Amino acid sequence: MKIVIRMFSIASIILWIVIVFFSGTAVYSVMKLDIKYGEVQILPSSSGVDFSLPFSIANNGYYELADLNLTTRITDPKGAVFDVSETFVQSIPQGSKVFENHTISIDLDIIISMDHVHLLLNDSFFNAEIFANLNFARAVPVQLSTNATIPWGAPFAHFSIGTMSFSPHNNTHVETRIPVSFENHAVIDIKGTLKVEAYNDSNELIAYGKASVNAPSQQIYAGNLVLYAKQENVLKLTSSGKMRLIFETPAFVVEWWEQYG
Amino acid sequence: MAELDIKSILKESLPRVLKAIVWGALTFIIVYYLPMILYPTDLLPLDYATPLFDFAMIIVFFAVVGQLFSGTILGCGFGVAKAIVVIAYFFAVSDGGVFSVTLPISELTVNLAVDISIILLMIISVNLLNIVKNILEALVLLNEKSTNVVLT
Repeated sequence: MKIVIRMFSIASIILWIVIVFFSGTAVYSVMKLDIKYGEVQILPSSSGVDFSLPFSIANNGYYELADLNLTTRITDPKGAVFDVSETFVQSIPQGSKVFENHTISIDLDIIISMDHVHLLLNDSFFNAEIFANLNFARAVPVQLSTNATIPWGAPFAHFSIGTMSFSPHNNTHVETRIPVSFENHAVIDIKGTLKVEAYNDSNELIAYGKASVNAPSQQIYAGNLVLYAKQENVLKLTSSGKMRLIFETPAFVVEWWEQYG
Repeated sequence: MAELDIKSILKESLPRVLKAIVWGALTFIIVYYLPMILYPTDLLPLDYATPLFDFAMIIVFFAVVGQLFSGTILGCGFGVAKAIVVIAYFFAVSDGGVFSVTLPISELTVNLAVDISIILLMIISVNLLNIVKNILEALVLLNEKSTNVVLT
């Protein structure tokens, strides 16, 4: 019996040594981790905007970091999901360093398809839920989570329409000039065609036209839209009405209504 | 006669008490003082000094009473109690194996969850071994007492 008790004592001591050694070296290894991240780069993409976060992890500890999964979920202030991005690093062995870029793509087409035209006209912010999972020493799963806000600059911020002016164009049509201005708060340049249809207060189409618009990022656009109306329709024009605006680019088409008068 | 008894008690218990004090002090140094030197509180953004101190107090208490009652049934009972208390302590501190903490890092609030189930399992295993060992020791002591027949 005494031999059995001694064996239990030895097993207990060995297990305690393993626990203390692992815990001590694990804490030391975590302290020796060198995690760095750079500035968030906001880059225009073919379909919208890319937010790119460069980061590096130098594992100077004693244990491997495995299955690192960085996930971000971008939602609008109402909670609608725009984008879920993942960056996966299978393994960071001890003594090695990895460089990665975590890219979050905001697709303007998705914003428009989700009926978020107001985000094209008004500045707002997105919520970013960030999750990082990893397996420490393939024994201790770790999860980090946080929330952040990303400011959103509207490409057609402070869109305004001025007073119409008329001048004869030819025998059948009258030229209508409408001053239009907006501020491009987005990180992308706005280049495309703006089609405009003017309706009177009885919803009758009075005039239509289109113009090329080129508004560089962070710049104010101010220009005149030239519309043409048949001479008989000019009489139907009322002091107030609606304008249908269709902006077309190779990446997206957006349509919205504005009041005039 | 009474003087002799006191002398014999002092002779027998004084070394035990001294041994228990030394053992308790050593345990405190190993369990609390050394880790605090190796990992000072400003090194990690966590308050680990308080739970470590609580753990050290539990271990010191059982180290002292274990030395005072070593070789007795009561000592074995304290051994079993120590194992159960240590299991319960780690279970409570680690919230059942998933240790969660909220860390303020610059402007962000980061929630950290560490699944230390495997370490908890190891701690439970080693303490279960200690429980069995103490029960066996108690049985040996009882067996020795019952077979210790004095022939006069």
